[in-house]
Amino acid sequence: MNVDDRLRRLLGGLDAGPGFEARVMERVAGLAAAAPREDLRAQFERRRALLRRRLLREAWMSSITILGLGACGGALLWRYASEIQQFATNSGQSVDPNLLIGGTAAVVGTALWFLIRRARG
Amino acid sequence: MPADDAIIALIQAGRVGEAFERLMPAYRRRVFGLAYSLLRDRGAAEDVAQEVFVKLWQVLPRYDGRAQLSTWIYAITRNTSISAMRKRRRPLSLSDPLVFEEAESRGASPSAEPSDGALWREVDALPDKQRQAVTLYYQEERTVEEVAAMMGLPVNTVKTHLHRARASLAAALAAAGREVA
Repeated sequence: MNVDDRLRRLLGGLDAGPGFEARVMERVAGLAAAAPREDLRAQFERRRALLRRRLLREAWMSSITILGLGACGGALLWRYASEIQQFATNSGQSVDPNLLIGGTAAVVGTALWFLIRRARG
Repeated sequence: MPADDAIIALIQAGRVGEAFERLMPAYRRRVFGLAYSLLRDRGAAEDVAQEVFVKLWQVLPRYDGRAQLSTWIYAITRNTSISAMRKRRRPLSLSDPLVFEEAESRGASPSAEPSDGALWREVDALPDKQRQAVTLYYQEERTVEEVAAMMGLPVNTVKTHLHRARASLAAALAAAGREVA
């Protein structure tokens, strides 16, 4: 018998032992039973991470908006300071000071209420 | 390969369980053979083959068809075998007791021919790539192209390994035959 035939005879029967496929299917079935729980946990973690990222992004956006509005307000005050001062002086003479204070408080309160509501989503 | 086409069609249709049931009998011997050719130990090869099929069951839904199914499975088998080899401390031998006993029992050799056990030892003594090529080639009458795909080597390199292995085995058996005679 030549080398080819002998190697064929020797190695030709090389295979996994009996019951191999059943053992694999058993392991797979075990994993399949555990899989839904794993899926739920993974889904929950994924959603939590998404929510955390969304909240962080919104907090940044709110901060930027507030800072932007503040900067705009400051710039307007600085630009029209003399006009405002003149208006306040004239108003002080012609308008009731309590009405002026109440009106200013109402405007500031409305702006704050709007910003807080927006920040809470 | 027609069986691969059917398996891929099932995966793409989302019928992964059915695909896996077809895949295991189609690839069992090849996965085991490849693991065995690397590990040279029947028990370890069977453990690796099990591990490979469990991995396949987990990743099969993600198979995107970019690589050939067989190439993909062989790569997983090679990587799993290499990891198993790294975990083992002692060097492995093809002459593990189960295989050796089987070979010896088959080796009721004709008068002047060395036993199958002697042939196992000679195969075991071959350089790694030659031994791997011989094991895969003769395990299931494979083509050189398929052995090359399994080993992840060019076809001509595998041909060279096979040629050298056959030559050295023939020489070793001839020498052993003279001794037996």
